[in-house]
Amino acid sequence: MAVDEHRAPRTTESDDARRLVKARRPGFGIGLLKGMAVTLKHLFKHNTVIQYPDEKQDLSSRTRGVIALKEENCTVCMLCARECPDWCIYIDSHKETLAPKREGGRPRKRNILDRFAIDYALCMYCGICVEVCPYDALFWSREFEYAEYDIRELTHEKEKLSDWMASVLPPPALEEGAEYPGSPTRAPEVADGAAAPVKPVQAEASDAAAGTPERRGAQAAPLGTGGRPADAGAPKEAKPDVGPVPGRQAEAAPAPEGAEPAAAEAPPVQEEEQQAAPSQEQAPGPEPTAEDHAGPGGRTETASPEVLGIQMGAEPASPSPRESTETASPEVLGIQMGAEPASPSPRESTETPSPEVLGIQMGGGPAPSPGAGEDAVGAPEEAETRTPQEGPDPEEVARLQETPGPNVEVPNEEPKPTALDPTEDPKEVYEAVLSDQLAKGSSPEVAEARAKVARVKAERGIARNPGVATKEDS
Amino acid sequence: MFDITLATWQILVIKIIVILTVVPVGALVGGYAEHKVMAHLQHRLGPMYPGGFHGWATTLADGIKFLYKEDIIPAAADRKVFSLAPAAIMVPIIMTYLVIPIDRALIVEDLDVGIFYLLAVGSLSTIGLLMAGWSSANKYALIGALRSAAQLIAYELPIVLAAVVVAMLAGSLSLIDIVETQNWPFAIWPPGIGFIAFLLFTVGAVAEMTRVPFDMPVAESEIITGPFTEYSGMRYIFAHMFAEMGHMVAFGGIGATLFLGGYQPIVPIPFLDFIPGVIWFSAKTMFMIFLFLWIRPTFPRVREDQLQKFAWKFLIPVGLALVLVTGAWVLYV
Amino acid sequence: MAKVGSPSEERAGARGRVPSRHPEEGAAGAEGRFKTEEMILNVGPQHPATHGVFRLLATIDGEVLIDADPVIGYMHRGYEKLVEQRDYRQITNLVSRMDWLSGINNELPLALAVEKLMEIEVPPRAQYLRVILCEMNRILNHLMFFASFGAELGAITPTFYAFREREDIQRVMEATTGGRMHFGFFRPGGIKEDVPEGFVEGALAGVRQVIDRLPDYENLLVGNEIFKQRTIDIGILEEEAAYSYGVSGPIARGSGITMDVRKDEPYLVYDQFDFDVQSAPNGDCFDRFWVLIREVGESARIVEQAIEGLPPGPIMGKVPRVIQAPEGEVYVRCENPLGELGMYLVSDGDRRPYRLKIRTPSYSNVSALSYVLKNTYVSDMIAILGSFFFVLGDIDR
Repeated sequence: MAVDEHRAPRTTESDDARRLVKARRPGFGIGLLKGMAVTLKHLFKHNTVIQYPDEKQDLSSRTRGVIALKEENCTVCMLCARECPDWCIYIDSHKETLAPKREGGRPRKRNILDRFAIDYALCMYCGICVEVCPYDALFWSREFEYAEYDIRELTHEKEKLSDWMASVLPPPALEEGAEYPGSPTRAPEVADGAAAPVKPVQAEASDAAAGTPERRGAQAAPLGTGGRPADAGAPKEAKPDVGPVPGRQAEAAPAPEGAEPAAAEAPPVQEEEQQAAPSQEQAPGPEPTAEDHAGPGGRTETASPEVLGIQMGAEPASPSPRESTETASPEVLGIQMGAEPASPSPRESTETPSPEVLGIQMGGGPAPSPGAGEDAVGAPEEAETRTPQEGPDPEEVARLQETPGPNVEVPNEEPKPTALDPTEDPKEVYEAVLSDQLAKGSSPEVAEARAKVARVKAERGIARNPGVATKEDS
Repeated sequence: MFDITLATWQILVIKIIVILTVVPVGALVGGYAEHKVMAHLQHRLGPMYPGGFHGWATTLADGIKFLYKEDIIPAAADRKVFSLAPAAIMVPIIMTYLVIPIDRALIVEDLDVGIFYLLAVGSLSTIGLLMAGWSSANKYALIGALRSAAQLIAYELPIVLAAVVVAMLAGSLSLIDIVETQNWPFAIWPPGIGFIAFLLFTVGAVAEMTRVPFDMPVAESEIITGPFTEYSGMRYIFAHMFAEMGHMVAFGGIGATLFLGGYQPIVPIPFLDFIPGVIWFSAKTMFMIFLFLWIRPTFPRVREDQLQKFAWKFLIPVGLALVLVTGAWVLYV
Repeated sequence: MAKVGSPSEERAGARGRVPSRHPEEGAAGAEGRFKTEEMILNVGPQHPATHGVFRLLATIDGEVLIDADPVIGYMHRGYEKLVEQRDYRQITNLVSRMDWLSGINNELPLALAVEKLMEIEVPPRAQYLRVILCEMNRILNHLMFFASFGAELGAITPTFYAFREREDIQRVMEATTGGRMHFGFFRPGGIKEDVPEGFVEGALAGVRQVIDRLPDYENLLVGNEIFKQRTIDIGILEEEAAYSYGVSGPIARGSGITMDVRKDEPYLVYDQFDFDVQSAPNGDCFDRFWVLIREVGESARIVEQAIEGLPPGPIMGKVPRVIQAPEGEVYVRCENPLGELGMYLVSDGDRRPYRLKIRTPSYSNVSALSYVLKNTYVSDMIAILGSFFFVLGDIDR
């Protein structure tokens, strides 16, 4: 950016003081004439008025116009209703018991959404509900022309909220130097064809359906439940004793609605690969330290649209959604963590591993692979000791500023050594994990999936999650 | 063309009809000009919808809208005075249109004492403003009325003095004579005196119309609408809008007549004569109106006491000096 | 209140005030002369010139304002009570509605306070982006007051010009945060999300456009003789009076006090930028306005420098999933466009504050009004009110 060419003029204090004295002197009418010249100039200037309603301004995609609901994604976790500062979201639901997926299984309980209403007469358009939704069921749309004559019409029920989905735009591409989800301090490699996943592509509601099964699969993924297939509708039932298992997605896509189940199955494994891939490619510059591995701070919103944007724009079979889906998992994971500890269903907030371990970064920050999560364990110690109030270390800033930009090829670094020896034989790891899981009582599919994940990790030299923190740690 | 002899009363009727048509139409057009010119000076568009093409019917629509507004008279107000005030403001303004020549033969009444009549009648609307403010039973209106009384009295004089200068130079009080004796280059003839008189007249006119920068009486952000605060509906239109627009067009016409050469062509080139004098007159009036409209958005308000100082300590002495100089000029040049 | 006979009181009589009719008796006496009655004029709470529902009980004698008593509280919304029931992210969204013209600057001290208590380190990119957004908001705020000050004095055009400049910057803010006035963008630990593509060009273009048009504004208002007549030596607030009333921001700087929290106690990365603290010595309306215009230029410089130095990286520090400030209390102050905005946060370990006391600049600034408005004209009262740059939401919370 060529800032140097045209800087705001620099004046010294004495300049200003002199100008002030001069300005206060009487001008004998010259100032009046100058003022008249200014207005006359504007008389002949091209007018920039946008004549609403015939012409409308092209608003940005982040503009907070109205909130749209994607009903399929909603699992009635009630986070939005709880976090809303105005309590303007009204949710009703009931539990239904569905037949077990296969013979001899346990009947699945699912939360069915009865009513989801947002009272826009109360809503203050803060966006916390969109930000907090772990399943990307709420989106911002830039439509704002929904004024009504009756205030009761301003409470939009779920049908109307679903209608707004058609006007939701994909999130914008981020500015240079920003971190994209899926790669801490790196941008996805453009040449990969797995395309910068955040390039805005036209969102279509139909694509949303295609993205749904992966998404739902993703959301169930990290909830490694001991021995039970996770339901898309009830991810809260996961238990905290296992690490994130992206492979669960294959398991946990129970009812992909009209989309490609195969795509849902096949991508998960590839997602894992893709996920690991960017983390190993181009690490521009110095390794991220504490800044990178921040835990979730409750900022979950950006992940979703980013992810959504990827999904909505991409073909299900193309590399992009894989990337997107796998980035979804940590976000979801992290997002789940954002739930209140004191929530009525404590299970939903405690079963997932702590974010620090997983190195989850919320929102627009990087979503490192679970493997990188281990890095975070060691990371806090490296945190600099500057007090927050002082601002960042100038050297640190300088160092960051010197780093080559996101699209520069930089030889990747070795991932940090972790608890396990990275040179384990993948096959052995597979067998070991498989038997281990079966012994613990997981169902065969679950065990197989976990073993696969472990094998892939071993292939890439990423260690499995070490002792995952339990409820006490979080 | 037609050989018609009209009886006096018929001529009178025609004249009345002409005046009662020209004044409202002039006010409407002036109002529309104000909307649009001010808007473009402020880098915006102004009304675009009423009437379809760039909102030409804005003021018409406004007038019709005001017709069916409720007529409210405050309970504590003096009803008779309150109702009469708009008339007291409007009528003198309408009367000033009587002597403005649009073309050589197009004048309602060519009085021998044209200028004198103009100045006398023009100052009558001051009383209307006072009536309006006083009878409103509203403190803000009272402040506005008193301010306006002081201001209008003060700024009558520059107009009078400027008109006197012109009358002296022309040697007659009749407006048609004044136009006829003006040669190119009109306003700056003779060099200097006419121009200063023109400036005096313009400033005085802006103040007489209580327009910015002299709109203390109706300072919107301070005392709402001054004397007209309690007026609503058609009364408000007559008292404020109509009066101001009518006044603006009248002063535009007077300025064009006195200083810009009236219905004569801009430059005395023979071939320009085929354009009728009406067009020239209209063009000059519109230029004057543009001056008024240009000044309005550009300047902030002058404070009341500064306003008075400016009039009494600067404009009037200059005007008096100008009269002396003009007298000398006329006698010895 | 300045004591009678104090140096400031005497100077007040000497400069810029209407001399009271009976210097020996004070303004109220009218004995032995033409007796006039004092009128109590209620300016507001509904009035075009007061920036919101603000009431001024003015005692006027003709055109002279003898006494003015500001009455506030018409817009009290109970912020400090509301925030006791909300967690920090919700408070962020609420608090930007205090001083609504500088929305994002209200969120900043809250974020800083929580970060201080929790000892969170904010990554540099977030710091720089915070600075950029805050300074752009400062420009928006100052342009707004430029517009309203002109409008109150009767110059209606600067309003439209200023709003047009604001539009360019607001579009950038909207593309980044989603809102044009209430942003809800800062979080303890960083900012909510990273800026979209085109932010840098948009911000630079918007800021430069403002700089390019500043000479126009100066010609239109500052150089205008009528404007000068109405603002020079009007509403003088002396330095000591400003100190004793706790005035801060452009008003204090217009009285000659060069105080600026960005320089005195730098927060974020302000210590890395090169900018001046604009001040003017005379303390009248013209000087305050002058400081306002100059500060726009300073903010533009800061934005340019910040964009130049914007580092890549994450925008959120390491924060736990639930933000719970540990027990403790902290006072953080920031330079709001209107003055010094301070937040005193007392936390008891919960994710909601135990007590959040907000020290707003407009509240203290307005307390100096009754002092400044003694013995001025009614029209000057309007000019002074306009030059005091307050926002009702800031006063009343």
